[in-house]
Amino acid sequence: MHSSIRHSRALAVAGLVLAATAAQAQTPDPSVAPVRGQVLDVTSNSPVPGAVVRWLSNPAGAATTDAQGAFSLVRPAGTDNRLIINFLGYLADTVRAEGTRYLRVPLRRSAELGEVKVEARALAYSGLTPTNTQVITSRDLTKSACCNLAESFETNASVEVSTTDAASGAKQIQLLGLDGAYTLLTLENLPALRGLATPYRLGYLAGPWIEGIDIIKGMGSVVNGYESIAGQVNIHLKDPEKTDRLHFNAYVNDMGKFDLNLNLATRLTPKLSTALLLHTDHLGGRIDRNDDGFLDLPRATQFNAFNKWKYNSGNGVVLEAGLGALRETRQGGQLGFRENTPGPYYGITQETNRFTGYAKASYAWTGRPYQSLGLLLSGTDHDFISSYGRRNYDGNQRTGLATLLFQSIIGTTAHTYRTGLSFQYDDYRETYNPSTTSTELLARNRREQVPGAFGEYTYQNASNLTVVGGLRLDRHNLYGWLLTPRLNVKYDPAKNTVLRFAAGKGLRVANPLAENSGMFVSSRDFVISPDLQPEKAWSVGGSATQYFNAFGRQGTLVADYYHTEFQNQVVVDSYTSPDRLLIGNLASGGRSYSRSFLAEVLVEPLKGLEVKAAYKHLDVQTTYGGELLPRVLVPRHRLFLNLAYATAFDKWRADLTVQGYGQRPLAPEPGSVERGPIFSPRYALLNTQITRAFKRWEVYAGVENLTNYRQRNPIQGAAAPFGPTFDAAMVWGPVYGRMSYLGMRFTLP
Amino acid sequence: MKFFPSFLLSCLLIISGGAFAQTTKTKAKGPATETLQLKTSAVCDMCKARLEKAMAYEKGVQQATLDVPSQMLTVTFRPDKTSAAALTSAVQKTGYDANGQLADNKAYERLPECCKKTNDVH
Repeated sequence: MHSSIRHSRALAVAGLVLAATAAQAQTPDPSVAPVRGQVLDVTSNSPVPGAVVRWLSNPAGAATTDAQGAFSLVRPAGTDNRLIINFLGYLADTVRAEGTRYLRVPLRRSAELGEVKVEARALAYSGLTPTNTQVITSRDLTKSACCNLAESFETNASVEVSTTDAASGAKQIQLLGLDGAYTLLTLENLPALRGLATPYRLGYLAGPWIEGIDIIKGMGSVVNGYESIAGQVNIHLKDPEKTDRLHFNAYVNDMGKFDLNLNLATRLTPKLSTALLLHTDHLGGRIDRNDDGFLDLPRATQFNAFNKWKYNSGNGVVLEAGLGALRETRQGGQLGFRENTPGPYYGITQETNRFTGYAKASYAWTGRPYQSLGLLLSGTDHDFISSYGRRNYDGNQRTGLATLLFQSIIGTTAHTYRTGLSFQYDDYRETYNPSTTSTELLARNRREQVPGAFGEYTYQNASNLTVVGGLRLDRHNLYGWLLTPRLNVKYDPAKNTVLRFAAGKGLRVANPLAENSGMFVSSRDFVISPDLQPEKAWSVGGSATQYFNAFGRQGTLVADYYHTEFQNQVVVDSYTSPDRLLIGNLASGGRSYSRSFLAEVLVEPLKGLEVKAAYKHLDVQTTYGGELLPRVLVPRHRLFLNLAYATAFDKWRADLTVQGYGQRPLAPEPGSVERGPIFSPRYALLNTQITRAFKRWEVYAGVENLTNYRQRNPIQGAAAPFGPTFDAAMVWGPVYGRMSYLGMRFTLP
Repeated sequence: MKFFPSFLLSCLLIISGGAFAQTTKTKAKGPATETLQLKTSAVCDMCKARLEKAMAYEKGVQQATLDVPSQMLTVTFRPDKTSAAALTSAVQKTGYDANGQLADNKAYERLPECCKKTNDVH
């Protein structure tokens, strides 16, 4: 009796409460009701349990879908009604939760191997990756004339592109003030263009082939090997499944150099697609604008082709394969030089033949999309013969790489891991003859066989913390056991703030001749110490990214700092003796380090006008002959400004880039008695470009080095190139001055 | 360099072009325009960006706006330069249905997964 009264009372109270909430819910607006919906696999239409649903504006409040793939999430304050749905093995999606509509969110499986990269709006600085990653999209790539990879970095402040010498035309990238060789270049996440290909590698990939570039500063993943020290540059080529059926690019500049590119792609069956990427460039004329008797740019011809295949079964199996071939000839040096009748003239000749291939196979478990198994294979044959004056340098490198990669989770998707085995094979054969008259032929042959195992664990708390810890152990046939630990942490302390930290070890075996081929164009004698050890370095650094609102649009502020300390380095000393280039291990008790600070701001003050400004401070020093001195040719200060304007739908695009370089330390000229660093002057370069887009056509024109700034005497002792004072390797500024160009692109989607 | 003056000229052209566009907005439009409404199969903001950009590059189109929830595309165009039929076909060639006429198959296959018809409006 008693209990039934109590019961009815309780019911009445409950009824009142319900009525009150219902009334409340009816009167103001329906948007306070939680958002409800279901997450489905786009292909099978089956529910996806365990996916993380959160608000773009408030990442802290997250919900996880249940066994039916259903979720319910309270709305945050604010007007932004975009939801992000994330699940490992799927591409993240952003949807708008408008009104009280029940959402059905189809998620697409990401069958690609490698990094699961999420670029909702292709932010230049991704807010999602645990590493400090900067993304160059194909749209950014059209900002500079972009004949090859070297020019792709011209509108970017992180990566420096420098010329190695005044005669061979080779270009190098620098990351964190360290030479290009310390940056691991990967093509589709597979190490590529390593070893002997390093000096000219930026010319081996044509700009129009490239879909996008990720620049990862500091220590990256252990999955790609132990070689990255300053960072990693990953290049995505055009995807046969998605790229345009036909893309044609033609470019010509006022020196008579032309570039032609043709990309063809087709879908043979719904599952099989292929892309053929073709490139050729040619500079035939002898150009000497600074009247020093030397060609400012070598005459060069390149034929380059790449064929990519992709098979996507639609139920988890993806196969990819690519085949590439390249032939390049270059000829530089004095105006009077002819390859077959050199006469008394100094000449540089080069012939490169390169074949490369790769294959990737991946399988993702149905129903368990977070679990996948992949096999990655690649092989390269790189062959060249070259002569620099009386020096001859020929080489061949055969490389094979195999990686078996397994990815899965522990319990929930908060704990994921990647583990696998790898095998690296390199066969280097180099011959160097310092003078055609002598018989002191130097043969450098090296065969590396490196089996290894790696593991990488990722913790993700679904809102603001990601920790990636990796460890790899390799057994090098020449240098024994190599242990490589790495750690990456990403933490979002506030809605628009991202902090990243990276630490770890990197290791590589130097190729002293190939990496210093610019120094061949000088009278310096190469003195290489016989017992070169692998280069080992620890790197610690981090970055802070702040997204903010300026002028009603999103702006980004990035600051990063990295410290790289070498335990051993193959030190290239051009200071100690003006007549020699001393290459040897870092002296015991000596130091070698790089400290790099970068601050960059990106804003859009007017609709369509993007402004990017950056300042970089580099402190790169090494002990040379017992004295700690700044690394040759590395500027301490650098400024960068890019203004990019685009009208609606990119019909017109215009760019202006200013690059300011501080003083650079130079090595003493051969034959001089001066010791210690001398400095190059400060200068700035201005580049500009304008593009007009039509439905299928694009026309572009631009000027590089608008102010026609030149290094006055890039070649020391140019009058007597076989004499003791000849040196073309101290290039700190432009050699050929202003250059204008014109081009067009044609696309059939 | 010969190129530099022409570059300046093109810069001037952009600026004057922008100014011109602003004045025509306030004034009554010179040539007569017509408006076309098409029910499309577009489902998301990415479709909106894609479709509006494709329309912007069609001859004679003054303005094109897609309302995602209702899937309606409103195109303002100059009838002396294009026609309703040409615009309908342009929508199909971008990969979307237009007033019940099916999308071009090749273009549809090339749409990103989130723009496919199998999705709800999102």
